[in-house]
Amino acid sequence: MTDRSEHNVSGRSASTSGFGRRSFLMAAGAALATPAILKTISVARAGSPTEITFSSAKFFGKQTVAQVVDLFNQSQGEIRVTYDELPPPSSSTEVHQGLVQRLAKKDGSPDVFTQDVVWIAEFAGAGWALALDDVISAAEAAEYFPGVLAACKFGGKLTALPWFVDSGMLYYRKDLLSEASIAVPETWEQLTTAAATLMKAGKAKIGFSWQAKQAEVLICDLVEFIASNGGSILGPDGKTVTLADKPAIEAVQFMYDTIAKYKISPADVRSWDEEPSRMPFTGGDVAFLRNWSYVYPISQDAKTSSVVGKVGVAPLPHFAGGKSAACLGGYQYGVNASTKNRDAAVTFVKWLSSPKTQLTFATELGLAPSRPAVFDSAELGKAQPFMQTLKPVFVGATARPVTPRYSQVSLALQSAVSKAVNDGNVAVALTDAKKKIESIVSA
Amino acid sequence: MTTAMAAVRQSYRDDKRQKAIRQAGRVGRLNPLLFLAPAGLALLAVSVFPVFDGLWLSMHNTLLSAQRSDFIGLGNYWQLVGDDQFWSAWQHTLVFTAVSTIAETLIGLAMALVLHETFSGRGMVRAAMLIPWAIPTVVTSKMFGWLFDGQHGIVNWLLVQTHILSGPANWYGSTDTAFWTIVIADVWKTAPFMALLLLAGLQTVPGALIEASRMDGAGALQTFFYIRLPLLLPTLMIAGMFRALDAFRIFDLVYVLTGGGPADSTEVLSTLTYKTLFSALDFGYGSALSVAMFATEALVAFGFGLFIMRGMRRANG
Repeated sequence: MTDRSEHNVSGRSASTSGFGRRSFLMAAGAALATPAILKTISVARAGSPTEITFSSAKFFGKQTVAQVVDLFNQSQGEIRVTYDELPPPSSSTEVHQGLVQRLAKKDGSPDVFTQDVVWIAEFAGAGWALALDDVISAAEAAEYFPGVLAACKFGGKLTALPWFVDSGMLYYRKDLLSEASIAVPETWEQLTTAAATLMKAGKAKIGFSWQAKQAEVLICDLVEFIASNGGSILGPDGKTVTLADKPAIEAVQFMYDTIAKYKISPADVRSWDEEPSRMPFTGGDVAFLRNWSYVYPISQDAKTSSVVGKVGVAPLPHFAGGKSAACLGGYQYGVNASTKNRDAAVTFVKWLSSPKTQLTFATELGLAPSRPAVFDSAELGKAQPFMQTLKPVFVGATARPVTPRYSQVSLALQSAVSKAVNDGNVAVALTDAKKKIESIVSA
Repeated sequence: MTTAMAAVRQSYRDDKRQKAIRQAGRVGRLNPLLFLAPAGLALLAVSVFPVFDGLWLSMHNTLLSAQRSDFIGLGNYWQLVGDDQFWSAWQHTLVFTAVSTIAETLIGLAMALVLHETFSGRGMVRAAMLIPWAIPTVVTSKMFGWLFDGQHGIVNWLLVQTHILSGPANWYGSTDTAFWTIVIADVWKTAPFMALLLLAGLQTVPGALIEASRMDGAGALQTFFYIRLPLLLPTLMIAGMFRALDAFRIFDLVYVLTGGGPADSTEVLSTLTYKTLFSALDFGYGSALSVAMFATEALVAFGFGLFIMRGMRRANG
C-alpha cells in the first residue's frame, strides 16, 4: 500500500498525477489533524474547563511566558489558557500592530493580553480594554508602585493591571567617584560638576552619556528631565499641552547644554539610542550613564565589560526643587472588553499579577516586580540581588504622556526635541510642537 | 443522379466546414483575451486596485485606534499642504534621488568603461564589483554606521590621522552631515549595479564603428564623446530612470542608520509614511502621504519618459 502510493507520487504519468497528489495531500492532512483531534478529545474529557486565550509579546529568561501559563493551567482545572505569542518587545511596532488587529475585530479574542505601557490609553480610548475597577479593590491597587498604577489608568478608570516595571536610572562609576571623593549626584547641577571634574582630571573621556537620537528613547529621556524639574508634557486631563511652560523649557535647555555648554556629553549623543550610549560606558570611557536596567548584567560580564565591579546604580538626578523621575517602561496586562469569559479572564489576570507570579517572573525571566512588597522577599534577594536594589529607582517611575493618540504625539515630540537639542532654539521648537500636539490631542 | 447527390452533399459539407471555420475564427479572436484574463485580473487585484483603494482611503480620517473612518474629502490633502514635516521630507527625497542617481551614473559609467577593456582577471573583477550590490541593505547600513561612527569610526580615524580634520566629526549626529553619509552609503552600494547596466549597453556599440573612428585618427576622448556616448545614451537614460525611481523609495538605509533624525534632517517620504501608517496607525493621513509620493514619482518617471521618447524619435529620424 505504502509502496504503491509512493510509486504513484514519484513515477506518476500525466493522467494519474491529479489522483496521486490528491490522495497524498489527504493522507498528509489526516496525519497532521490526528493529534489535534486527540487533544480536543482529551481536553473534553477533563470536565470541559472554560477556554480563554492570552496574547503576549515574547519574553524569556530561564523560562518563557508559555511555561508560566502552563503553571496556571496545571494549578487548577476550571480555566484553560491558550497562549498566543507575539514578536519580542524589541519589535514593538509589530507587537502593536498584532494587538490592534486582534482587538479591533472585537470577537473576544484574545481574552487577556499584555501591552506596552504607552498603549494603555490608546486601547482604553478605543474601548478595547475592560475597566477593572469593580474587581480590583482600592486596597489591592495600593499594593503597586504608584507611578505604575497611575500609568494603568485612563480617564480615571483602571484599564490595565501592572505586570513588570523597568525605568530609566543613573549608572555611575563607583571607583572614579570614590577616588575623587565625589558623592553620588542628586541634582543635575551636581552631576554636571562631577562629570566636568572627572573629565578634566582625565579619568573619563565622556562625562555623561544619554540618548538623543530621534527615536522613542528621546521621549523617555525628555520625560525624566522635564518631570525632575516639576514639569510635564501633557496636563492630567490629557488635553492641555504644558510642553512650552517654563519647567519644560528649562529642562530641554539643560539637555542641549550638556552637549553645547557644559560639554559633559559628546555631540554623538544626538545619534545615540540605548546601545551606542551603553557601549562606551561598559568600555570604561564614561563616568555617568542614563539607561534601563538591562545594562547592569552586561556591565558585570567580564567578556563584554571592562568595568566589572565598578558600577553603581542610583535614581536619576533632579533639578533644584524638583524630585527624581524615571521614565516608566515595561508591559502591563489588559482584559479584552469584548471577552465572552469575563470571570475566567479576570481570575487569570489577577493570578498573573499576584505577588507569587510576579516573583516567578522576577526570578525566572528577570522581569522586575511592580509590587514593592515582592522586592523585599528573600527569594528575590537570592536570585536577583541587583534587582532588589532597584526599589528606590522604581518609586520615582513616571509615565509618558497619557493620551490615546500617544504614538502621534511621540512622533511630533521626537521631531521637535531633536531640533531643540541640535540647534538650541528650545523655546521655538517647543512652542511649535505644542501647537502640533494640541491639534493631535483635540482631534 | 448520384453525381447531383454527391454535389449537394459536397456543398453541404463545404457549408458546414466554412461555418466551423467562421466559428473557430470568432472563438479564436476571443481566445487571446481569455488567456490574458488571469494575468489581467492578477494585475487589477494587486496593482490597480490598491492604488485606487489608497486614493479612496486618503479621503478618510481612518484611525484604527479611534475606531473612526469618515469621508473627509480633501481634508488630508489640505493638512498635507501645510505640513512642514512633509515638505522637508519631500525635499530630502528629491535631493537624495537627484544626487545619488547622478553620482551613481557617473561612477558607474567610469567603472563600466574600465571593465569593458580587456585585461587579465577581468572576469574576477566584474564579479567582485557586484558584491556591494549583493549585500543586503541592512548590512550595508550597519557597516556604514561603524565606518562613520563618531567615536571609533575608521573614517574619523583616517581623517584625523591625515590632519584633514582636527578632531573626530559627528557624522550621524549632525544635521549637516547625516544626510550626506546616507548618500555616500547608497552610492557605494548601487554604483556597481549601474556599472553592470551600462557595461551591457557598451557591449552593444559595434566594434566596427570604434575601429573606423580610430582609423580616422580619433583619440580615446573623441571616440568616447562622438561614438560611445551617443550610442549609449538610450541605455543611460533607461538605467538612470530605473535608478531614480528606485532611489526615490529610499527606506532601509535611513531607517537603520538615523531613523529620520537628527532634527528630521534625514527624514524621507518612505520613512515618514511608514511612521504615520504603521507606528501611529493613521491610515487616512498616511495614505494621503503615499498618494503624494506616488504622484511625485509618477512625475519623475514622466520626465524621464519624455526625454527617452524624444531621444528615440530623433534616432529613428
